[in-house]
Amino acid sequence: MSRKHSSLAVEEEENEINLTPMLDVVFIMLIFFIVTATFIKEAGIQVERPNTITADTQDDASILIAISPNDEIWIDRQERDPRAVRGIIERLHAENPKGSIVIQADEGSTHETLVIVMEAAKVAGVTNVSIASDNEG
Amino acid sequence: MRKHLDDIHFDEEENEINLTPMLDVVFIMLIFFIVTASFIKEAGIDVNRPDAPMTESKPEDANILVMINANDEIWIERRLIDPRAVRANIERMHAENPDGSVVIQANNKSTNKILVEVMDSARLAGVYSISIADSR
Repeated sequence: MSRKHSSLAVEEEENEINLTPMLDVVFIMLIFFIVTATFIKEAGIQVERPNTITADTQDDASILIAISPNDEIWIDRQERDPRAVRGIIERLHAENPKGSIVIQADEGSTHETLVIVMEAAKVAGVTNVSIASDNEG
Repeated sequence: MRKHLDDIHFDEEENEINLTPMLDVVFIMLIFFIVTASFIKEAGIDVNRPDAPMTESKPEDANILVMINANDEIWIERRLIDPRAVRANIERMHAENPDGSVVIQANNKSTNKILVEVMDSARLAGVYSISIADSR
């Protein structure tokens, strides 16, 4: 009788989850996501985007340039001088070469400023440029 | 003497790292990064499609020229066009000349709203090859 009791005691092993390997796995995943996450710098202002039907979602947008209704150019939460835009795009592009530029131009901004930004992007060597819009379709 | 021995034994506590709260914190951070990693999706119109060859416009193709003046009026083939009729006009011209691309020549003082509307109309008409020029 006593023997049977002792065998029962042996089968009742500890069934707690072993935390150390799970923590290792979770750390690996966390480091992976930290490394692959690129932080997109917000432009700094909200604009009224034009309405469209045919816009595509830009999955690799990384540089956001906003043009206010008064034709101010905002990059990374600061208003920028038009002549400095090219240098800023070059620097941001170097940080993330695969990222595209999205120009958030307000409805009331003029064409001239848009062309200045697009020219700066072209000279800086970035070819993937899009204009942000409010898509309904 | 006994007291000292007891005290020493008491100070020697278990100093293992408590894994459960650390695992909780790490899980929270992980979920944060997973969620924010896929988030920012801007909807926009491609101005430069990466797969299109750069600026090789063939001169023998009569490109569809759309002009926007400083008052946001749209002129095609020297006629004033209503913004809602732009798509139909481009469709017609595209049918006559399937290889031609749309060239939007906008005045510097025109707004980007009308520019984007014209680009949208061109894309609705089926023409995705659009160039933007400015007229001084």
